[in-house]
Amino acid sequence: MSSRSDVFLQVKATGEYVAASLIDGINEEQVGAAETGWREVFDAELARLKSANVPPERWPQHAHWDWRKKHAVTDGILAYQMLGIECEGQMQGLVLLKTAGVYCRFPDQKGRGLVYVWFLSTAPWNSPTVVTNPRFGQVGTVLLAAAIQVSFDLGFNGRIGLHSLPQSEVWYEKNGMVNLGKDAECHNLRYFEMTPQQAERYLR
Amino acid sequence: MADKKTMTLNLTDPEMRALEKLSETRDMTKTAVIRQALRLYQLMDTRLARGEKLFFEDELTKEKKEVVVL
Repeated sequence: MSSRSDVFLQVKATGEYVAASLIDGINEEQVGAAETGWREVFDAELARLKSANVPPERWPQHAHWDWRKKHAVTDGILAYQMLGIECEGQMQGLVLLKTAGVYCRFPDQKGRGLVYVWFLSTAPWNSPTVVTNPRFGQVGTVLLAAAIQVSFDLGFNGRIGLHSLPQSEVWYEKNGMVNLGKDAECHNLRYFEMTPQQAERYLR
Repeated sequence: MADKKTMTLNLTDPEMRALEKLSETRDMTKTAVIRQALRLYQLMDTRLARGEKLFFEDELTKEKKEVVVL
């Protein structure tokens, strides 16, 4: 069972905001359509980067993510929640959350439950690492806000945590998350958390 | 967020004490603790059904001990 709520995305070309739908509980058909549409753009961009001899460390670091597979493995399990933003008939972003069994590392909050943002991605046509003129902005911002709301709903007071791809570290820091350093147990990715106070500020 | 339904839950005294203790140490309401327990139970159940095993690991010695689930 899924639910929809109204959100807004920014049209990058004009700066205007347009209505979009935040879908809580993405179904197989929706994720399949997203994966097909996104894959085409990612594959074209990767082919272009390869032929231009751009070093792999500068390729979009989430291009290989298979959202259809992630959905298949987690669908129907309460401890996982997939949300997406639909606008102009296409999925503009997806996030997969872990909502049980993950706990804070930030000293002040240690041992308290949080919502773990496992995967978060904007559609390739919205990403400045993929296209020169991104279509929509605020996709990541809205999805992060959705993760915080899920955290409040589950009684975690807005606490969220995540491991960031290197290309996204600056963005998470700019959005008020605490950088807790590289995690050797997770591919040396930097681990970030948001405290309840930071979550309240983010949603204001 | 999804609509919610209400139910009444009858607990023994030890169960209620355990729930109150978890609620206090985890800084969560008792309802939130129950909802978490449900998520963890279903996750464990699903993965066991897939043929996986559940272990505790000693942080220092790295010794693994299987959690036996009947």
